Amino acid sequence: MRAPTIAMLIAGLALWCGQTLAQPSQPRYSADGLYNLANSYARAGKPGLAVLSYERASLLAPGDADIEANLEYVRASAHVPTEPRTRFARIVQAANPNLAAWIGVLGIALVGGGLLARKLAPRFRGLPAGGVLLGCALIALTVSNAMLLWPRMHEAVVLINQTPARVSPVPMGDTAFVLREAETVTITAEHEDFILIRTRGGLTGWVARANLGTVVPQISVYPLQSKGIPR
Amino acid sequence: MHWSKVIVAILGLLAPAAYAMAQAGLAYETIQPEHIRLGESATLRVTSLDGDLPNVPLPVVSGLSFELIGRSQGLEFVNGISIPSTSILIRVTPQMAGIFSIPGLSPKSEPVVLDVVNPDDSNPSALLKPKPAPTPPLVATTPLPKGVQLKAGGGAFVQLVIPTRAVYVGESVPVDIEVGVRPGIVTAMNGLPALSGSDFTLNNLSKQPKRSEQVIEGSAFVVMTWHSVIAAVKPGDFSLSAETPLSVKFNTYSAADIAITARMGQPFLQGLYNGITPKDVTIASPSSELKVLPLPTQGQPTDFNGAVGDFQISSDISPASVAAGDPLTLRLHIRGAGNFDRVDSTMFDRLDHWKTYPAKSSFIPKDAVGYQGEKVFEQPLIAALPGEQTIPGLGFSYFNPNTRHYEHARTQPVKVMIAASLADSSLGALAGSQSLNGAPTGQSASGLHPDRPRPQSSVSELRPLYFQAPFLAVPATLALILAGSLFAVRRNPARAAAKTAERALAQLDAAARSGDSSSFFEVARTALLRTLAARWRMSPDQITVAELKTRLGPAGEDIERLCALADEVKYSDYEPGSTDFPRWLRLIRGQLTGEME
Repeated sequence: MRAPTIAMLIAGLALWCGQTLAQPSQPRYSADGLYNLANSYARAGKPGLAVLSYERASLLAPGDADIEANLEYVRASAHVPTEPRTRFARIVQAANPNLAAWIGVLGIALVGGGLLARKLAPRFRGLPAGGVLLGCALIALTVSNAMLLWPRMHEAVVLINQTPARVSPVPMGDTAFVLREAETVTITAEHEDFILIRTRGGLTGWVARANLGTVVPQISVYPLQSKGIPR
Repeated sequence: MHWSKVIVAILGLLAPAAYAMAQAGLAYETIQPEHIRLGESATLRVTSLDGDLPNVPLPVVSGLSFELIGRSQGLEFVNGISIPSTSILIRVTPQMAGIFSIPGLSPKSEPVVLDVVNPDDSNPSALLKPKPAPTPPLVATTPLPKGVQLKAGGGAFVQLVIPTRAVYVGESVPVDIEVGVRPGIVTAMNGLPALSGSDFTLNNLSKQPKRSEQVIEGSAFVVMTWHSVIAAVKPGDFSLSAETPLSVKFNTYSAADIAITARMGQPFLQGLYNGITPKDVTIASPSSELKVLPLPTQGQPTDFNGAVGDFQISSDISPASVAAGDPLTLRLHIRGAGNFDRVDSTMFDRLDHWKTYPAKSSFIPKDAVGYQGEKVFEQPLIAALPGEQTIPGLGFSYFNPNTRHYEHARTQPVKVMIAASLADSSLGALAGSQSLNGAPTGQSASGLHPDRPRPQSSVSELRPLYFQAPFLAVPATLALILAGSLFAVRRNPARAAAKTAERALAQLDAAARSGDSSSFFEVARTALLRTLAARWRMSPDQITVAELKTRLGPAGEDIERLCALADEVKYSDYEPGSTDFPRWLRLIRGQLTGEME
């Protein structure tokens, strides 16, 4: 291969790398950063945004004592009822979700390796069986963690006090009930600029999209109906 | 009769009539309204169409008083033809009711009749008459301004009124521009007045000037006045005048021509023979001398921006108390008279313990030309520290043409109370008085857990990995690999049988070479029965002689013989000849190989 051709290839590779690195990066999240942000909102008297930031921080650092304490404190100050977690949920959610994801991968590897070893070395049946059992336990841990976390992917926090929940997704719809700021609700459907929510008490109503902040940014529960949930 | 005699005879008959018509039609009188009540007035108008109307003596009628209002000139439209006319206006006021005959005031005019009734009389004619026209307003007679001359055939004039004192470069100087035109003579203004030369700048003139009607030298003029300001761009002695373009109707005929026209008598005949033509002209005001002085360089402040005038400044700030981090607005007010377009201030470029932003200005004029007014500069400021803060006074330098000196004005320092930032105050303080959403709370707030140091690690997605599609590819790929491996190592009966057969054949070869018939037949029987049992899906113990013969035919008999030999060798120490091994080997290999194939 001639030198000019190599030089052109190197130049093209460098250009491609430059373009790739020059692409705008996504926003970065950190548990500590979200925690500090939530504290700022709390001090500024904005419990809705504070709870939203605490919820997001707890996604990255579940079981963090400071986050849980401040979240509970802000909710109590805003007169928003808190729902205590079960012991099982505490145990399962003690692991970082991302760590739990890799634990699940490890479990799959252990199960597969154990089965393979059992086939390849029938004489040593005890060790592969133990690996398979351990792998299954790790997979179960990951699945439980994901199942407990799945509802939080569809939760949102009320950002405006006295937010009306309407019976229909129109601005002039009758008000069914009123939501407190910092209250956490579950998203069940979307329609244009309104989101159908369900409260912890089981009440459902349509809330203006601008009055809510989703715990997981830019998640679309119903992509065919939604037009994007505000961050 | 000859045609020429006929024409002469006709002209001879028409000549006296034409003369009489000319004598009677050159002047006439009208009175409006013809029916009035006692206490009202009527206007007697004496109009001449021959262009010359001498002063007429006021009539004397018992019971009527006459008062000369003035003269007016215009154009009379007769049969679509405009004819210049001159009128004398006389106000007629009755002292008693009755029918009055006012004699003609000129030899060419006819008498008019005025009907005056008592105010409470029900005069049928008064009821039937149209609503009387409003009494024309009194028009003050004004002399022509000194030094101003009528131009455009006496139809217009322009006057520029400027101060007599010396002015300074850049100083805004109020000026008045007056343009007087005679309606009917001047038909249009083709533009706004402008200054001659380029040594001065003139503010934009309004298209709606102040208008008034004046009688100047016995003629009615419409006088338009523009108030504006000029500014000199360089020092020196200048001659200044204003110009304005007009459309004027000129009579191109001489006095003799006009006399001939007047003798035509009938307006129709005059219309065929008039010399009035429109023309566009530009008339200028008399030149005015203006001395422009340069701004003195001695004592000029460093922050002088060219403001010339008489100004006063003040400042204020709002709100008076804010929290640290919240913006407040500092305002500088500059009031007075002068060139506000040169009044400028950057306020504070930098201020300790404050974050400053660029200032914006707005001007509120107090007159139409913006010579007097107030300019307000607004600068947003953000305090960085809590506590009582003092904002220094603001300065402004200008040149005062009245004192002929530079002056520097300065505002008083402003004190502001800056409270602690909301972000720095604890939530407990807020919760002590009220909860976060306004509801009272009884909780004794111990405060939030403190902030943490700057975060070190971060992620780009809040969703856990197991909910992200790219990550799910990892366990899925791993599971596929493991499943494939398990599939690859699964048990294959055919392969196992082939391996068993190979091992058996190797043992048979070894036994044959060593001549160990006991081992040979034992291994052969075991290998054959195992192979056939696998082929027929039954246990080796269930294979009988009948089964062998039925399924294998003649080969079955050989296998039966081999099994018998194996028993004989095992139980009776029978030793077959060594030459039999190859035959048995072919038989066994055939069965085992056939299985493999």
